[in-house]
Amino acid sequence: MAGSTEQAFTVAVPDADLELLHKKLDLARLPDELEGAEWNYGVPLADIKRLVAYWKDSFDWRKAEAEINKLPMFTRDIEVDGFGTLNIHYVHQKSEVKNAIPLLFVHGWPGDFLEAKKILPILTAKSEEHPSFHVVSLSLPGFGFSEAPKKPGFAGRQYAEVFNKLMVALGYNEYVYQGGDWGHILGVHAVTHYGHTNIKAWHTNMPFYRAPKLFTNPLLFIGMLAIIFDTPTKTGLVNSMQWRTKGMGYYIEQATQPQTLGFSLSDSPVGLLAWIYEKLVTWSDKYPWTEDEVLEWISIYWFSRSGPAAAGRIYYEMTGQNQHDVMEGTKYSSVPLGASYFPRELVQLPKSWTSMLGNVKFEAQHDKGGHFAAYEQPEKLAGDLRNMYGKGGPVFGIVPGKNGYD
Amino acid sequence: MSEFADPYSERPFTLAVPDVELELLRKRLDLVRLPDELDGAAWHYGAARADVARLVAHWRGGFDWRAREAAINALPMFVRGVEVEGFGTLEVHYVHRRSGVEGAIPLLFVHGWPGSFLEARKLLPLLTAGSPEYPSFHVVAVSLPGFGFSEAPKKPGFAGPQYAEVFNKLMLALGYDEYVYQGGDWGHMIGVHAVHIYGHKHIKAWLTNLPIYRDPTLFTYPVYYLQKLALPITTRFNDRARIDYEKTKEWYKRGTGYYSEQATEPQTVGYSLADSPVGLLAWIYEKLVTWTDHYPWTDDEVLEWISVYWFSRAGPAAASRVYYEMTGGYAYEYWKGSERTSVPLGASYFPAELTRPPKQWLNMLGKVVFQSEHDRGGHFAAFEQPELLAGDLRKMFGKGGPAYGVVPGKDGYN
Repeated sequence: MAGSTEQAFTVAVPDADLELLHKKLDLARLPDELEGAEWNYGVPLADIKRLVAYWKDSFDWRKAEAEINKLPMFTRDIEVDGFGTLNIHYVHQKSEVKNAIPLLFVHGWPGDFLEAKKILPILTAKSEEHPSFHVVSLSLPGFGFSEAPKKPGFAGRQYAEVFNKLMVALGYNEYVYQGGDWGHILGVHAVTHYGHTNIKAWHTNMPFYRAPKLFTNPLLFIGMLAIIFDTPTKTGLVNSMQWRTKGMGYYIEQATQPQTLGFSLSDSPVGLLAWIYEKLVTWSDKYPWTEDEVLEWISIYWFSRSGPAAAGRIYYEMTGQNQHDVMEGTKYSSVPLGASYFPRELVQLPKSWTSMLGNVKFEAQHDKGGHFAAYEQPEKLAGDLRNMYGKGGPVFGIVPGKNGYD
Repeated sequence: MSEFADPYSERPFTLAVPDVELELLRKRLDLVRLPDELDGAAWHYGAARADVARLVAHWRGGFDWRAREAAINALPMFVRGVEVEGFGTLEVHYVHRRSGVEGAIPLLFVHGWPGSFLEARKLLPLLTAGSPEYPSFHVVAVSLPGFGFSEAPKKPGFAGPQYAEVFNKLMLALGYDEYVYQGGDWGHMIGVHAVHIYGHKHIKAWLTNLPIYRDPTLFTYPVYYLQKLALPITTRFNDRARIDYEKTKEWYKRGTGYYSEQATEPQTVGYSLADSPVGLLAWIYEKLVTWTDHYPWTDDEVLEWISVYWFSRAGPAAASRVYYEMTGGYAYEYWKGSERTSVPLGASYFPAELTRPPKQWLNMLGKVVFQSEHDRGGHFAAFEQPELLAGDLRKMFGKGGPAYGVVPGKDGYN
């Protein structure tokens, strides 16, 4: 196969799509709300009213689009065994440092490739004080501006294949990986298949693996809390259990009936807004979302190449319709691992358990930040990567010939 | 005295969706944006695109709401104010059909989600018919607060005791001091509370078509608990038991997404249900198909069912809150606060019901006096198999039946 299929990419939502969106917003029908409901029943009505009004009257998509288009974006065809060719969208920002470390950043749900936008300038900056990176931030298949798979069964192995083929096609035979949310989970899969040979080290901001069997039993779990763990760890575990019992509605629906939900998300901008905005607020550490930020975020889903319904299928495919956990098909890898702990992350497990995830070489605990770490705390996350990979750091020079300095 | 002076007095109810609402619905349907679907995915990932697309086209083109509305209005429907302690007065909508038989048994029929008062529609002529062969009933089919054409509560905390209070006050207001109860889905799950609070004194007996209750624990029901532990093995030796066990496990793995979301974030999903007719359609239609026993839904039936939600008094989002309120936001099971009673209990078993625990476990709920096993029918038993369900009520309450004469002076016969 001669030549590459890489093409420069710009977002250019057709006028007709913008008009349809606004027609729908004009007809928006909102529900009532219980007195004093606040955030207890889901997104408060006042928030949605405010955001819908802004969306109708003030939000300038073309302006947001133009800003996005300042990023160096591309698409190229990636063949996936058994699934044909998928056209994959990505940001590729190179550092001026020739020997910068190639890094693949992988988002999750309800995230997107833009989550990397604040860490891009930090990671690609040149300095003697810290390493520099060439950064690739892709849209997962079915998200953003990447094509979606057309048939069932696209799971861990397939995502890993896309990642690796993309990096290799860009000339990065050996690289490092960073992810949270699905980016973390898929990182475990990527490292299982391409660890050492291609992925030389990886970093996660949502460190978890399979809980030890002992701890999947709620009674034992509660009993053990009192005995083994210190207070911060206990708090973290309680928060995690809280999320597992009360915060999983979206997960179970998307893992079992994503198509049913997809009709709402495709048809109703307000419905899509609420579905995602709920996570932007409840999963972040009091991040001061502006209307523009929220609506740009939602718009990526609304105007996504495959439509908003496609993204939720990742839950179904990665769990076999809720028959198994998301780590199915992975195995422990000795590829060097770094972990950043943010206080408002959804899953806060005992740090000792991170060693079940991988070969822990770097850890950093923060006192601020939540699930969308790259977006909420870009300096902290980028700082962790610099410390992990920089001179004197635990995995300095892990990518042969590309230690991040000239 | 003017009927408007007394908020508690009954008024006849006529469904009359304003033209502007129909027009707005039509506009929304014209703007529908459907998702794609994976090759071969139909019904494996949720409601099938082809079916939903067909229903949307029919909704835009052939579905005649006014004709369905007129037929609904042929039912004897009413509204009246019912005061609920701590919640003020709610206007409650119901069907009330009296039998020609003077001594007919008063029966309250309670629907669930995504059901409605219309689920009783096919039962009405059967239950109110008079005959020396079987008992007759006066039937009340209420719209749960927040559903159909009943008002919704305005504040948090409206749960089992409150629904039960609505039911009981309604029946008393209709002159039925003592009555029997029939329900499935939330009709059953709320019935558990109604019977706990008003059993014996007012509710003399009840029949459920969702015969479930708590799971046995080692401390509460050790024998059943041991039986539960042994299920993976014991069910190998009995086809029916194995099918039931697998079905129940499947349900917990694959069937509870809607429950989990509505029990934790009903407002969030409510924005979709209120704003998107196709979103609401898919959300409900998925259950109409997957929860029934190959019921041959016509497009008109489906769209009428969805329309009751779309045009409901409180809007489609309100109905979902029952999951949250009844479970404390998924903090506990729906039955919390209820206890076993000795109120005579009947159970109708339909093969395609969603969960099918061992029959003996129903003894944890109440004094089981009647059981009936059918070879067809699913979750919406009253709608799918009205003759079978009505037959069960007749057998349970008729002469020679285990609950015959349970309502003093109203044995169902002339």
